[in-house]
Amino acid sequence: MKKKLEVIGEICPFPLIEAKREMEQMNDGDELIINFDCTQATESIPRWAAESGHKITNFEQTDDATWTITIKKGAL
Amino acid sequence: MLLTGLICGVLLGFVMQRGRFCLTGGFRDMYIAKDNRMFYALLIAITVQSVGVFTLIHFGLFDFSAGQFSWLATIIGSFIFGIGIVFAGGCATGTWYRAGEGLLGSWIALFGYMFMSAVMKTGFLAPVDSSMKAIALPTNSMSESTGIPTVVFIALLVFIVTTIVYKELKKPKVVIPSLKPKYTGLRHLLFEKRWHPFVTAVLVGIIAIIAWPLSAATGRVYGLGITTPSANILQFAVTGDMDFINWGVFLVLGIFFGSYIAAKGSREFRFRMPDAKTGITSFIGGNLMGFGASLAGGCSIGNGLVMTAMMTWQGWFSLLFIILGTWTASYFVFIRPQVKKKVSATSGAYLA
Repeated sequence: MKKKLEVIGEICPFPLIEAKREMEQMNDGDELIINFDCTQATESIPRWAAESGHKITNFEQTDDATWTITIKKGAL
Repeated sequence: MLLTGLICGVLLGFVMQRGRFCLTGGFRDMYIAKDNRMFYALLIAITVQSVGVFTLIHFGLFDFSAGQFSWLATIIGSFIFGIGIVFAGGCATGTWYRAGEGLLGSWIALFGYMFMSAVMKTGFLAPVDSSMKAIALPTNSMSESTGIPTVVFIALLVFIVTTIVYKELKKPKVVIPSLKPKYTGLRHLLFEKRWHPFVTAVLVGIIAIIAWPLSAATGRVYGLGITTPSANILQFAVTGDMDFINWGVFLVLGIFFGSYIAAKGSREFRFRMPDAKTGITSFIGGNLMGFGASLAGGCSIGNGLVMTAMMTWQGWFSLLFIILGTWTASYFVFIRPQVKKKVSATSGAYLA
């Protein structure tokens, strides 16, 4: 299952907090796509994902100060 | 000569933007994520600066007198400042550099901050400010009130920080995936690579050292400072009085431009308008920051980075209460709403 989390316009640390909450309700192997534009999250989201054992399947900059990251739950 | 402030500011803004040197986030994460990395980074910056500046003082480049310790104003002001930075989404310097990234919410916070600082310094709240500051202990210098030489405090700090850094760097590393590099060489290093917070901290510490002699040369014997200069911009704007223009004014403007250059070069600049709720919160946060920092005699930079390095009670007490303020606000802004949501989700499921 794939789920999208649109947090464009939200400032830190809300994108990370919401990503964590979404992730709690997902099953192993599900993917969460997060679109965000808060600069600090380019550091905090991948760090959280790596440290909690999720796999990052995609991470790219889509525009000026806009990023997308896809995290697969518990697939590391 | 005032232009050296601009150069110093540009360097600081650049380093802070690229290094993601966010003290608000750092203090907040100590509590909500049990992550002390940014706090350790701040300690590194304090230590580097302390060693550097006291060396310069030792060789007679300038003199520093810590003055008195307005303990009540420092404690209350710092706590309020700590609450304000959570609402504003960044400390004073953080707000300046985020403004340079194009975050209009930070422009709003910055205006509130400048406004309330000016109100506290030369406006109708000036009597509140001065009467609270009048409650003071005669010595601010830790060395003077204890009789222990400053060098002992510095040595102790160096020892603590070295131990922390050693322990942190020895921890097993988790590989954190990053964006695919598009550039190589200097451009990659400056505009793309993720900077280790400890490296950023050393750079911040060095800039903080350089600030002292550069600022002293213009007659302002102090290091990095954000609050008074930010207020000065507004005071100058409404009075036209050139006395408000000093090295610090150029410093804070430099932070803005430095961060803009860093963000633009790494494609991280874009004008971003917050929603109404964030806008209002930012404005309130900015005002609390201005009120708190003025009362405390400094923000997380002036007190938390500089006065700590100068081994003053004001610096360390302020740092402690800024952190406590940040934690208090974090509880209400980040922790409580989450708990509430969880409770309502479970009780909903139960009813169903």
